[in-house]
Amino acid sequence: MKKVVFQPKVRYKLHPGYLAWILHRATGILLGVYLFLHIWVIHHLSQGEEAFNEVMAVVQSPLFHLLEIGLLATVVYHGLNGLRVVFIDYGNLAKRDMMRKVVYAVLAVSAILVVAGAVPMFRLAFGL
Amino acid sequence: MVKTVTFSVFRYDPEKDTRPYYKDYRVELRRPGMMVLDGLNQIRWEQDGTLAFRRSCREGVCGSDGLNINGVNMLACITHIEELKEPIVVQPLPSMPVIKDLVVDFTDFYAKYYLVKPYLITKTPPPSDRERLQSPEDRKKLDGLYECILCACCSTSCPSFWADPNYLGPAALLKAWRFIADTRDEGADERLEIINDRDGAWRCHTILNCVEACPKQLNPTEAIAELKKAIIHRKF
Repeated sequence: MKKVVFQPKVRYKLHPGYLAWILHRATGILLGVYLFLHIWVIHHLSQGEEAFNEVMAVVQSPLFHLLEIGLLATVVYHGLNGLRVVFIDYGNLAKRDMMRKVVYAVLAVSAILVVAGAVPMFRLAFGL
Repeated sequence: MVKTVTFSVFRYDPEKDTRPYYKDYRVELRRPGMMVLDGLNQIRWEQDGTLAFRRSCREGVCGSDGLNINGVNMLACITHIEELKEPIVVQPLPSMPVIKDLVVDFTDFYAKYYLVKPYLITKTPPPSDRERLQSPEDRKKLDGLYECILCACCSTSCPSFWADPNYLGPAALLKAWRFIADTRDEGADERLEIINDRDGAWRCHTILNCVEACPKQLNPTEAIAELKKAIIHRKF
């Protein structure tokens, strides 16, 4: 019989790269879920104009405009961080003096783009 | 009065304990610049002789005392106690089977290391009158690769290594690139054959924990990136 051995699972420190990877996974899953929702909305086209207009009215509601800010954040972060990952492998972003700075840069640029995009969405949501 | 710090140490004796627990010890800072290993020695020599941990050279050369200290893998012998937050939580390297207390089983780690053929492979015979020479420039390409001391801090810091029991891990892959990058070596093809696998270089998700953990300031992620490039260059 195989002897049962204990393998410690520790709460490892969230280094910037580790955090960036966890966010990348999380946004990846969210994008997958969104894709199905998106296809579900679009498939109403095949059921005629009325059905499509009905579902579009739902997703044009203020709540969905606010959710779209979250979608924007998900897409922007996943895309920018994806580029970072590509350039770690095929550029030189894995360098010790670069690696943390690039994670911070991805987070900063994502934040700017999301805030810039959130303004018109807020206006739409609240009819300003 | 001598200042003291608290060490919270992972304890587990599979013959006695049903589950691991943490035991607190007070360590006296008797001189400036004490390392975590000095603290562990003080505990074992003066307070609790049953505490098990590995150590040998006590200066960051042998790689015996890789431990998880305050959530980060590092060598106890070159980590200053005074630079750490209290309590200093000392745990064994993550994901490795515990033999006792802080001592873990390296069998799997070494097996993966041998898989990448960590030795010079040559097909052409050496010159008859001297050894295989290398230019200083070619030798310089191995800087940052050959210094690995096999402490396993990198591999056991890697979430991919935790999750995938078959992943070769950063230490083995860094060593593979150390030989592939060596101008005297002729074993690149057979090594890349092994590494071009979902449990080889492609399991690396560039999380960079290995680079943060390496006590010798090496860069396994960069080495793995070089391996990925070499695999692609070989195919196309």
